[in-house]
Amino acid sequence: MTKLGDRLFSGVARSFAVLTLVLLAGIIVALTVASWPSIQAYGIGFLFSPEWNPPMEKFGALVPVYGTLVTALIALVIAVPVSFGIALFLTELSPRWLRRPLGTAIELLAAIPSIVYGMWGLLVFAPIFAQYVQPALQNTLGHLPLIGRLFAGPPLGIGLLCAGVILAIMIIPYIASVMRDVFEVTPAMLKESAYGLGCTTWEVVWRVVLPYTKTGVVGGVMLGLGRALGETMAVTFVIGNTNFLSTASLFAPGNSITSALANEFAEADPGLHTAALMELGLILFVITLCVLVVSKLLLQRLSKGEGGRS
Amino acid sequence: MNLLMRRKLINRIALTLSMGAMLFGLFWLTWILWTVFDLGVSGLSLNLFTQMTPPPGASDGGLLNAIAGSVLMVTLATLLGTPIGILAGVYLAEYGRFNVLGQTTRFINDLLLSAPSIVIGLFVYALIVANTGKFSAWSGVVALALIVLPVVVRTTENMLQLVPNTLREAAFALGAPKRVVISKVTLRAARAGVVTGVLLAIARIAGETAPLLFTALSNQFWTLNLNEPMANLPVTIFKFAMSPFVEWQQLAWAGVFLITLGVLALNIIARVFLRAEKLN
Amino acid sequence: MDIANAQLEFRNFNFYYGKFHALKNINFRMARHTVTAFIGPSGCGKSTLLRTINRMYDLYPDQRAEGELLFDGRNLLASDIDVSILRAKIGMVFQKPTPFPMSIYDNIAFGVRLHEKLSVAEMDERVEWALRKAALWEEVKDKLKQSGMSLSGGQQQRLCIARGIAVKPEVLLLDEPTSALDPISTSRIEELVDELKKEFTIVIVTHNMQQAARISDYTAYMYLGEMVEFGVTDELFLKPKRKETEDYITGRFG
Repeated sequence: MTKLGDRLFSGVARSFAVLTLVLLAGIIVALTVASWPSIQAYGIGFLFSPEWNPPMEKFGALVPVYGTLVTALIALVIAVPVSFGIALFLTELSPRWLRRPLGTAIELLAAIPSIVYGMWGLLVFAPIFAQYVQPALQNTLGHLPLIGRLFAGPPLGIGLLCAGVILAIMIIPYIASVMRDVFEVTPAMLKESAYGLGCTTWEVVWRVVLPYTKTGVVGGVMLGLGRALGETMAVTFVIGNTNFLSTASLFAPGNSITSALANEFAEADPGLHTAALMELGLILFVITLCVLVVSKLLLQRLSKGEGGRS
Repeated sequence: MNLLMRRKLINRIALTLSMGAMLFGLFWLTWILWTVFDLGVSGLSLNLFTQMTPPPGASDGGLLNAIAGSVLMVTLATLLGTPIGILAGVYLAEYGRFNVLGQTTRFINDLLLSAPSIVIGLFVYALIVANTGKFSAWSGVVALALIVLPVVVRTTENMLQLVPNTLREAAFALGAPKRVVISKVTLRAARAGVVTGVLLAIARIAGETAPLLFTALSNQFWTLNLNEPMANLPVTIFKFAMSPFVEWQQLAWAGVFLITLGVLALNIIARVFLRAEKLN
Repeated sequence: MDIANAQLEFRNFNFYYGKFHALKNINFRMARHTVTAFIGPSGCGKSTLLRTINRMYDLYPDQRAEGELLFDGRNLLASDIDVSILRAKIGMVFQKPTPFPMSIYDNIAFGVRLHEKLSVAEMDERVEWALRKAALWEEVKDKLKQSGMSLSGGQQQRLCIARGIAVKPEVLLLDEPTSALDPISTSRIEELVDELKKEFTIVIVTHNMQQAARISDYTAYMYLGEMVEFGVTDELFLKPKRKETEDYITGRFG
């Protein structure tokens, strides 16, 4: 009786674990099957065609893939240094009694649902961004050769840059928490050794703590990148949702994979349009999975204590 | 001496920037919360909880059907995802801590934890909506449950791992079978952590929009029929906020306020709960 | 050994962890180019005392020192003392080896670069000098570009000593430097200390009384934050003046 009960219990537990396991494979299979008509119709060219024209049944992923990558990249450029600063502040500078409340505050930033970021971004942030920040960028960076082209065009507020900024705010807490956690595992003695040689706080963090924790830090950045790539609502509200791509400017509106899905999928015609959107989803899933696998492996390596090996 | 001064200067600049980064983070948090609070509270009224979502241009209306739909779907998704998640977590911690199945599942689960939620929506669409031929609340429930699952698996496993082995051994030494040891001793010892995990999972799905866009869709009218599209707060907010109608936008702010309040409250309760339990 | 001409001197020195009074009224002197050992049971304050000498406690806001700690006549506790310069003059080695996550060469050069601008050739020379002083040169001269973490525990600890002396300090603080090492590595470190005292003033904390007896010129026995006895090592071990000291060194303690 006992034996049977035990076997039943472990059997059920195991089958649910297996369920979790096959979920991932299930997602990939289901998306592949659903996008098969599009894969057959466009082949590899799907990735490189900038045309997205549902009435003409012409579909190419270039614009949304570009939008996804560019917004995620902008987000990283902003979020990584800020997160590093926050982690540095929380681990080395903050008075002890402030650490927990500040850390919690930053983590709460991650708890706010993305739709809140999106709506706030569209109705509050974008107008201010268009009125003050974008003209300021144009007047400064806009005059530089080459880089200036990124900041050309009318300041609309919404667009790739705005989406990138909102994404940055969203992923800062993820990256900052991981960085703080890995900075905290740096042995106190190692830090004291560096202080013992006469290092300043900055030198200790930049030249000892950061190299010691670099796998974890990169893992955290990749985690943030994964989040940024797959984020839907925050981007959909502010990216501008247009499938045309004619300028290198980051001020221009665009589209990301997620925003294309959010806007079009429910109303898409069955057939090629739906299949093409499914393929976009598949592409997104594969890209984020790769990023997350790398992130996971790096963080795992750190937790095994090999963080310092260079 | 010059070298020293330069090092000190760099140090000072870097530390100032670090403080600036901290303020930068807090700045956004404050700004967003303040806006949500300010605009949300002014949109609050009794109508919000007694009236259905209005047609475009109508001056009165509420979010009753959306709130009810959200509560229903989130509840069902939690009821569906939690037991599966806890048992899978039990497997990882108590049976498969070191075997291949356990380790692979743990890795995959961590990937699912951060996978884009919109892809879960697509998956459920392909699996259920495409086959039944219609959008339905219960496909939304499944999508949300799939998001609950990895969160619960992860926290259950983590919390079980914190239970000291001596406790397990003591229970086994009394001759208790493994399922009893797990359900009566280790799971109970890890109870606070598991509950925290579930609360955080609820907080996570309460604001999820993307997976509902192509499953539960939305509904302008009252329904509790799981076979029909069902109104829910996030999708309603999305629709209303993107609209040009002021009334709709106001309702969206009120909705955002409710969701934010709920999610933050859940997060804070979960933290307080876990800390209180840890101190015991 | 002329202890009257002290390089380091504690005068009415007290130390607190928050409200806890960790070191009580410490008074003693250390002479240039001698080895002084602090012994005593764990928690007696010997490491705390060592860590005040390079003001390591500055890192922790709830720790503070009172009284005077004179280094060549200057009070190190004064607020106008620059800890960065101070720590260049007073090096430290810890209980466990703490190689930085960089190459062997860079581990040594790291501290030097903080305080001096040297040409590549001068730096090469300095690295070799420090590694030779730490009796590690022969073992690592062919793999200077390898990670410092690839060395064995004993080698890592000698690397840390080399890193400390490369900055050319006057004083070297050793906080139980052999507690994580095997007996062979331990004896190499002890030989090294004997060699190094020709050029540096060495202060060592150890829980190993034989080690103190073997390598130090002066020994301080500490108990519960007080310096029970301080004196020439041979005298302290052979005929201790205080009963508590005798109980401890003969193993009748506690």
